[in-house]
Amino acid sequence: MNSAMNAIILDPTENPEEDSFVPWSPRKHGPHNAHRCFTKEIDADGICWLTFDTPDAAANVWNFDTLDELDCHIEDLHRDSSVRALVIRSAKERIYIAGADLHAVQTLAPIRMKELLVLGQDVFTHLETLRIPKVAAIHGACVGGGFEMALACDWRVATDSEFTRIGLPETQLGLIPGWGGSTRLPRMIGLPRALDLIVRGKTMKAAEAKRAGLIHEVTAREHLDSLAKKFALRATSARHHHFHFTQLWPLPQVIRFRAKAMLFAKFPWMKSTIAAPAVAVDVVTRGASRSFEKSLALEQEAITTLAGSTMTRSFIGTFLRKESASHKLPAALANVTARPVVNAAVIGAGVMGSGIAYALATKGVRVILTDATPELVARGLSRIEGFLADGINRRALSRKEAREVRDRIAPAHAKVPLQRMDLVIEAVIEEMEAKKNLLADLASRTGPQTILATNTSALSVAEMAAAVPHPEQVLGLHFFNPAHVMPLVEIVTHARTSPETTATAMRFVQGIGKTPVLVQDSPGFVVNRILMPYLIGAVSLAETMHDPWRIDDTMTEFGMPMGPLRLLDEIGFDVAQHVAATMSRAFPGRLPKTHLLATLTAAGMLGRKNGQGFYLHNKAVASPNPALLKHLTPAFREPERAAIVTRLTGLMRDEAQRCLDEKVASSAADIELAMLLGSGFPPFKKLFD
Amino acid sequence: MNPKEHLVIVAGVRTPFCRAGTALAGLDAVELGRAAVTGLLIKTGLDPALVDETIFGCVSQPANAPNIARIIALRSGIPKERPAMTVQRNCASGLQAMTTAYEKLAAGQGEVFMVGGVESMSQMPFQFRHEAALKFAMLSRARGVFSKARALSAFRLQDLMPVITLKLGLTDPVAALNMGETAELLAREYRVSRDAQDAFAVRSHLLALGSRAAITEEITPVYTTGRDVKAITEDNGLRADSSLEKLARLQPIFDPLMGSVTAGNSSQVSDGAVALLVCSERRAESLGLEPLGRLVSQAWTGCDPARMGLGPVTAISEALRAASWKLDDADIVEINEAFAAQVLAVLKCLKDPASARRAGLDAPLGELDHARLNPQGGAIALGHPVGASGARLVLTALLQLRRNKQQRAVVSLCIGGGQGGAVCLETN
Repeated sequence: MNSAMNAIILDPTENPEEDSFVPWSPRKHGPHNAHRCFTKEIDADGICWLTFDTPDAAANVWNFDTLDELDCHIEDLHRDSSVRALVIRSAKERIYIAGADLHAVQTLAPIRMKELLVLGQDVFTHLETLRIPKVAAIHGACVGGGFEMALACDWRVATDSEFTRIGLPETQLGLIPGWGGSTRLPRMIGLPRALDLIVRGKTMKAAEAKRAGLIHEVTAREHLDSLAKKFALRATSARHHHFHFTQLWPLPQVIRFRAKAMLFAKFPWMKSTIAAPAVAVDVVTRGASRSFEKSLALEQEAITTLAGSTMTRSFIGTFLRKESASHKLPAALANVTARPVVNAAVIGAGVMGSGIAYALATKGVRVILTDATPELVARGLSRIEGFLADGINRRALSRKEAREVRDRIAPAHAKVPLQRMDLVIEAVIEEMEAKKNLLADLASRTGPQTILATNTSALSVAEMAAAVPHPEQVLGLHFFNPAHVMPLVEIVTHARTSPETTATAMRFVQGIGKTPVLVQDSPGFVVNRILMPYLIGAVSLAETMHDPWRIDDTMTEFGMPMGPLRLLDEIGFDVAQHVAATMSRAFPGRLPKTHLLATLTAAGMLGRKNGQGFYLHNKAVASPNPALLKHLTPAFREPERAAIVTRLTGLMRDEAQRCLDEKVASSAADIELAMLLGSGFPPFKKLFD
Repeated sequence: MNPKEHLVIVAGVRTPFCRAGTALAGLDAVELGRAAVTGLLIKTGLDPALVDETIFGCVSQPANAPNIARIIALRSGIPKERPAMTVQRNCASGLQAMTTAYEKLAAGQGEVFMVGGVESMSQMPFQFRHEAALKFAMLSRARGVFSKARALSAFRLQDLMPVITLKLGLTDPVAALNMGETAELLAREYRVSRDAQDAFAVRSHLLALGSRAAITEEITPVYTTGRDVKAITEDNGLRADSSLEKLARLQPIFDPLMGSVTAGNSSQVSDGAVALLVCSERRAESLGLEPLGRLVSQAWTGCDPARMGLGPVTAISEALRAASWKLDDADIVEINEAFAAQVLAVLKCLKDPASARRAGLDAPLGELDHARLNPQGGAIALGHPVGASGARLVLTALLQLRRNKQQRAVVSLCIGGGQGGAVCLETN
């Protein structure tokens, strides 16, 4: 601060006591530990380096204190003519700025929330109006409020590190970008692209972000500071508010119309509820055709509505719970050592097996994928090749990464030695005898450290475990189909599963980027058990209707990602009946009575797998199957929408309550999380009373 | 030789050998090598970190995979801290990989080696001839329309004719003879008739067909890449309908007028890879591995490049001498079937005193009866992916010894450029 240069130029901040001019500073929120999180250095070239480094925290976040502190620094810079440019960087290893402090957002009173909102907008505008080049030197996650700050800078440069993620994921939490993001981004990269980013809430790697125009340059981490300096030394035209031609009438109006139509088509429940993505469409498009200040005001208004809503609270609550479940172990396992899983084998290269193998290989686990014959293995590998091709098309994978994934999957069709494996997951046919024999055989080929996991969706893990010499090494890892997409894995323990085995499995599931939920060994575990009455209930309801497809429409409007009949098509009628039979054996009289599925199966309808189910799947888009109608016995009156919802969700609620009472999962929160991640049950609807 | 420093062969697998341009044509040499090495690691359950070095033979390394052994090792999951080298002794490269491992072991530079050989003859590239390459360089350097036009005008139609590197690789630059022409020379000088050659080829096919089940034991499937993955599980060079009449109809390719070497009585141009896990006898014991057999002796000899097919004669003689064996001691002799004419000439040189002298032996080694020679057929039926064949012969000889409960085998190959290589192998 007191460099030689400053000594020559009369700097009013040099000695504040002598300075008669007291800056107007309206934002002093309580006794904050001033100048704690930012360090400021000014180098010989007159560049001010602000380093954001919250002490004792892995992440930098925005709250009253940090925003205030940044504001003080900006104020200083406004009055310090010796500074030529400003670079804002972070000292954190993985996170640049993670956005707003979510715990704060969740707990703040509405009035304080509004204050925080205004403060953020003002600070970033304050930053934007600094008449020197401002550079955001990004390494690590720069998301939400973090990226909104970067948007207020003139230049954004980022590292190519795998930790660097850029975007505005607010809609994922039931919010919208409210610190100028919804206003600045469309003015910078154009309305359609900005809207797409904001509505989907997608975060991007640096290279992709550069292609999308979010940042200016990407470099290696070692070069970040020098590159930031290069940009800082460029003269910049202090053009604060960009204008993009897509803001011209009538484009925003047209875009709003189309975006909403697409949104509602995909998520019918948004029509009846105030949902963040729909609000984002409104704010961004309306803001684009208004002045900068009006647009900011729209953001404020929207956030005030959203932040107080129970929906947003439940989104944020679920997000925090998911984060915790994805990174922490339950208290009972906190002191248990989990072994790393480096080598794994997947037995069975069917739909589940190949999906699991792919999910593992993409996260760096070396996998042996086996099946009985080379042809069956080849079919599994074909599916994996499909995932890879898809990943490359979506640019989620580079060709190099795809090759690495391929190299990590070693196919085998004979009984190969598995002594070195840390984990063996079986995904063979759902038959107790077959699974028992397989586990016994696996136990004879595996080492003392190998965990044996079964991917059963309903069979008793304890019974399988009894077939091997070391039942404490056996548990269930219930992946959901498609295994490489679905974020949930139910970890099924039985009475004799050792804590080490459970901890290792949980850490492993977290390590492959999925969320584990601990469940007890009981038929159907949590998700299938709660879903089954709902699905069968939907079938029995369909039997009495003229227009059974209305059930699906109703439930998607309620918030389910897919209607129950459509979901049954995906599962396949044979599998569904198999699971239903297992469930009704275990819990007699619990499932609604219906013979429709059996009738349909007898009539040669199996669901998606043979193209004939409640829908016809021969074309790109599924259409209602008229052949269904002759199997129905419609009642005189069609049930009301509300009645359908009450009946079907009631079935789920009852079963969820029973799961809780029987302690199949340890808490209601766990059951809700499992239902959200495993079945897409809307987080803003209550599963428990 | 200190018995504790014996090199033992613990296990081996190979990919199917497929005729060039068929089932394996879409996979490059690295993929083939990776399939073999991964298959072997999975089959043995060995921790890849135990491999001290990977040594692979490859005759024509892909331009995008220099030191192909290293790339195969890395992509097969062998830790990056373990070095890898590629060896090249033409058709015996796969055998060279194993003997190099032995030399490293003897020198105290490692105990466990992943060795083998690989060749994708389908993917041997076409090149521009050097003069054409110079013209391309001129063109790329040319600035301005005028000089570009002048550079372009230097091209002649023949400049666009590719040089087929496969053909180039199979031509001896010193003798200026194609490999097939050297076989023709042997057929003339040692009076090997067309009928004898064709009969030998039929024998190779029939023996290979008869041993299909046994041969399958050597093979690990290769899975193709791309949307529709296929499992390639079998060699595809074998002809169930091979007969003297059919072979007699083929035209000689190297000397159409008077020659006798045809596509039918020569080895097939193929794709394939072989991997062998070799280590010191002591290490095998400490790891609890049951070896297939051990390397007793090795020999590399030189001969006239124009008569490269006779290489095995002196090589076998040297290897037997080093092992203190006689030819009759060997239960199995695997001589690579580069050409029927060449193998028959070698047999004649081993037996007939006058021929033996011409081939450089003081005295003939004895008669090699057909029951001991290539009992499961050879490269004429199975194919000859040049870099891989040496390792295949070791693998097939050892598996036959184990199956037949026999003790001793000799493996030998003729080598383009006028060399012979041979090793003596022994089971416990």
